[in-house]
Amino acid sequence: MASALLPASLLLVVLLLIPELFGDFMAYQIGLYLIYGIAAQGIGFLWGKTGVLPLGQALFFGIAAYVTAITLRAEGNLFLNLALAAIVLAVIAGSAFVLAALVFRGRNESGPYFSLITLALVMIAEQVAGTATSLTGGFNGMSGFNSLGNLDPFGGFYYVIVAATVAVSLLLFILNRLPVNLIAKAVLDNEPRMQLLGFPTHMIKGAAFAFSAMIAALAGGLFASHQGIVTPASTGFALSAELVILTAVGGRFHVLGPLIGAVIVGWASTELRDSFPYWELLMAVVFILVVLKAPGGIAELFEAAFRRVRPKTPTSAAPAVTAPETRFDKTPRPLRFEDVRLKIGVVRILNAVSFETPATGIISVIGPNGAGKTSALNTITGNLSVTGGRIMLGEVRIDSRPPHTALSNGIGSKLQVPSVFFSLSVSENLVIAMMAGRLRMSDLFKPSTFQWRSKSLSDILGHPSVPLKEEMTAPVEYLPQGHRQFLEYAMTVAAEPSILLLDEPCAGLSPDETALMTKLVQSYQSETSRLVIVIEHDMSIVEAISDKVLVLHLGKVLAFDDYDKVRQNPQVQAVYSGGTK
Amino acid sequence: MSSVLLLNLAWQISTLALVALGLAIVFGKLRIMNMAHGEFVMIGAYAPVITSMLGLPGWLQLPVCLVTVGPVAFVLERTIIRHLYGRMFDSLLATWGIAILLREIVELIFGRGYQSVSPPIAGTVCVFGADYPAYRIAVIIGILLGFIGLYWWNTRSKTGTRIKAMVGNPNLAEAIGINTARLSAGAFVFGCCTAGLAGLILAPTVRIEPMMGLDYLIRSFFALVVGGLGSLEGLGIGSGIIAGTQTFLGAVASQTYGYLAVLTLSTLFLWLKPNGVRSSSR
Repeated sequence: MASALLPASLLLVVLLLIPELFGDFMAYQIGLYLIYGIAAQGIGFLWGKTGVLPLGQALFFGIAAYVTAITLRAEGNLFLNLALAAIVLAVIAGSAFVLAALVFRGRNESGPYFSLITLALVMIAEQVAGTATSLTGGFNGMSGFNSLGNLDPFGGFYYVIVAATVAVSLLLFILNRLPVNLIAKAVLDNEPRMQLLGFPTHMIKGAAFAFSAMIAALAGGLFASHQGIVTPASTGFALSAELVILTAVGGRFHVLGPLIGAVIVGWASTELRDSFPYWELLMAVVFILVVLKAPGGIAELFEAAFRRVRPKTPTSAAPAVTAPETRFDKTPRPLRFEDVRLKIGVVRILNAVSFETPATGIISVIGPNGAGKTSALNTITGNLSVTGGRIMLGEVRIDSRPPHTALSNGIGSKLQVPSVFFSLSVSENLVIAMMAGRLRMSDLFKPSTFQWRSKSLSDILGHPSVPLKEEMTAPVEYLPQGHRQFLEYAMTVAAEPSILLLDEPCAGLSPDETALMTKLVQSYQSETSRLVIVIEHDMSIVEAISDKVLVLHLGKVLAFDDYDKVRQNPQVQAVYSGGTK
Repeated sequence: MSSVLLLNLAWQISTLALVALGLAIVFGKLRIMNMAHGEFVMIGAYAPVITSMLGLPGWLQLPVCLVTVGPVAFVLERTIIRHLYGRMFDSLLATWGIAILLREIVELIFGRGYQSVSPPIAGTVCVFGADYPAYRIAVIIGILLGFIGLYWWNTRSKTGTRIKAMVGNPNLAEAIGINTARLSAGAFVFGCCTAGLAGLILAPTVRIEPMMGLDYLIRSFFALVVGGLGSLEGLGIGSGIIAGTQTFLGAVASQTYGYLAVLTLSTLFLWLKPNGVRSSSR
């Protein structure tokens, strides 16, 4: 944690020096910029990590500001006020979580629509604040209250702001080093994969939104107390947009970026606004340039300069810790399709597919292109909802559930095109895979979670021919196709699923790599005696590994038997050798 | 329902449809979340101001409008927007910057104060027993005819398909002979010019000022969200619902309630039916 304490204490020292060096009035102004900066830090966390862009953050800022104003007017008791502040923060975080989780439920992308909803909400709030005169004082706003604890806004209250700034920054620095940070980044990188690894991504994004809302509310409370007046503009569209601009210009990927942005832009605007008529113009141009050319903002420029002086030292890998057991039912159960139908638009993809697999073994699924093989696998994971029939795992119905619940039924899936976290390194990919099915809430905040290893994963990585161990720190986007296949396989197996779905695991592999992949699949099945369902086009592989072969054709089961019987089947021969149906 | 209210509904719906048309092209087809759309409406609305400042005859208002809006849109597309195809969040942010830029430039030239111009057609006509400004009647009929023409053209033209191909896969679109640079610039400039035209038409009926664009932007976005992107029918339905709700509630209750109802309706649509009433992509 020393790496979090050092920048936070530096920040503290710099902020404490400001009143000494520049006087109380400057400190008063810097205090206001810091308040905006705190709210922007919350935006930076949400937007920089999870990719969700909030356009209405002033909603929480403003609500908290109004509540603070109303409270400070009515009640002077510091202890009561602080208790009420805690309750308000909790309520705001709770409502933000519910809102975001509801909006994001059933989707696997963030899209611009959530941003537009936040925009619409903040406009509603501004309108209500301007018209509900009895509660908010209307367009003139609320004033005539003392600041929290009766501190002087031009004196003592500055130190309250400094304390809040440093506390929020320290918290964000610490979060940066914990598994939550990696999970947030993974959600941004590849949300469908996170869902298949069992993470409820809508809740993760909801939690991130709630956290940023809470920070905005904290800033709003400070604002009311600092300024002594709250107007509808405090919960308005313009302030929301301003906060986003501060975040972008300062740098959304860095904890201190939004703070730097807020202070620099705020200070420059008061200095220049009167003497330089093109100031707003300049700001707009800078903002456009940042969006186009420097998405990392000012903070990234600072960091690049700093790294030139002190290059990043590679951290040595921490020793592995045995991961806890995965927490789902591992008893072998047969998978049963009962009259499953799937229709997308006017296309009927599966037409009354029925079969029952044994509880363990390797099942190969073959069939010509368009037979419905991949779609059948996607109905098992819940990525596609069936339009008729049902899918049973033992006595549990598993079809048409959200994809993130598949792993809790023991289903792990490797997709046709390798779906991994492309912007993360190989080892980060594996860390996330190790959390799948194992993570408890408390593990999110323990650094030791990064060191988790399980036997199934060590077996694969320890295999002399598997290429991954030399490239642990390399970003996955630079890996060749074959290595991505092995990575995704390792990530899927890391959770030790009771049903392993593999969609063409050997696609794009060399003959040597194909042999290796086949061997890995076979040894996983024989050691764990789980059920493996694999889609494969290469008949020599199908022959070598299959206990049973399922032949799909035009969305129907053509045959389901052992390899030799399937090969003798005249209907299968007709489909494969181009005869008449 | 009084006939004035009916005529007001027709006026609000038709002008909103015209304002939203440009955004339907730029957002619906090019997938650029153009937050500067309202600013093009604003620049268009300044065209009569420019015309009278320069002492030019009134019939030059339309050419002046196109000559101010078109080149601005073209330059912005070639310098900024073209980097943003396929980057929706970035397009939102960069065009937000553009919106501030345009507002500030206009403010530097014309000042912050309100301007007003008189309509080219004065007087009122009696429709359904109510006296209504002749200019508004002419505009409603003109927009209606314009949309009928556009609909007729749209069912025959392949331009929409080409734009869709370009946005979906620019490299492949170029490979099959689509000049993507010309097509994207053309579509963006056309979208912005319709916004400018809307501004020109609205100019005699509103207060012209640098900040006027925001309201049009928001209502256009909501009209598209409610109606559904990508079809003219959706645009009409969305404009009808948004402008209809606002005008009706504004008349029977108050402007605030009308505005709140529109915002609430849009939020519900964004949440529960993000593809709108009509989501077919034409």
